[in-house]
Amino acid sequence: MANPTLAAKSAFLGVQSLKHPAFTIEDLSSLTIASITSAKGKSAEVKAAIQTAYGVALPDTPLRVTGNGIAFIWHGPDQWMAIADRGTNNRDIEVELKPVLEGKAAVVDQGDGRAVVRVSGTHVRDVLAKGFAIDLHPSAFKTNSVAITHAAHIGCIIWQIDAAPTYEIAMFRSFADSFMDWLTHSAAEYTGRH
Amino acid sequence: MRITCPCCGERALDEFAYYGDASVKRPDIASPTAMADFVAYSFDRVNAAGPHRELWYHSAGCHLWLVVTRNVANHEILNVEPARDVARATQQLPTPGRGSA
Ligand SMILES: [Zn+2]
Repeated sequence: MANPTLAAKSAFLGVQSLKHPAFTIEDLSSLTIASITSAKGKSAEVKAAIQTAYGVALPDTPLRVTGNGIAFIWHGPDQWMAIADRGTNNRDIEVELKPVLEGKAAVVDQGDGRAVVRVSGTHVRDVLAKGFAIDLHPSAFKTNSVAITHAAHIGCIIWQIDAAPTYEIAMFRSFADSFMDWLTHSAAEYTGRH
Repeated sequence: MRITCPCCGERALDEFAYYGDASVKRPDIASPTAMADFVAYSFDRVNAAGPHRELWYHSAGCHLWLVVTRNVANHEILNVEPARDVARATQQLPTPGRGSA
């Protein structure tokens, strides 16, 4: 039997990108994602192992930390998500982290579980405010801030990556198309596109 | 009504699920008085018009179980604690040697 070739496909079935000064959408379908859940009482060991391997301190509060080509997103008490680009070598963050955290944490691939979208533009906060019931004003939500919440009834993790501001939003992959529908409709008054 | 989660900050009520009275402890089913104990556990409530300790779950957020002290007469939230801290303080959970929590 021939070896099937598996190719990564976008979870966003309709719109995958939108470029408008008011609102920009970029589908991040080239990511490798893994969840890290500390074993009971082992979060200090998990933090030490990640510090040694990647030179970053895992946060205890809703924050994102970045190392060399990798980001760790707070994902609840003693839990984080590791995110990196698959790149040309097809990097697999689950395979990479498992030996680092052996016996300390559960490491599970989320690459086929989560979809991530990047949004920016002059009206990005106005668009997101239609669904996210959290305060995204710079006085409350800054670069590297993280929030686990929901938008348009869809569970989301949102974090800010720069002061532009640019945000990245992760949701369960099966909700991606529905989320994109909400996003493009919310942006329509600024972009003129439905 | 808004609840200030110790992890996530102030969030709207629709992110939380209510579980029930946090002041009762599930009885031992092997006890000879289990039937009476479970009837009391399930149905006997003081139902005072004032502060009440209740279990809430941050279901659309960090997934932490919380003990919320809420004035049932006016919905004022008086205190929010992680339920695991409360359980440890009342000896229902062992305290693991850990850096966080
Ligand atoms: Zn929370």
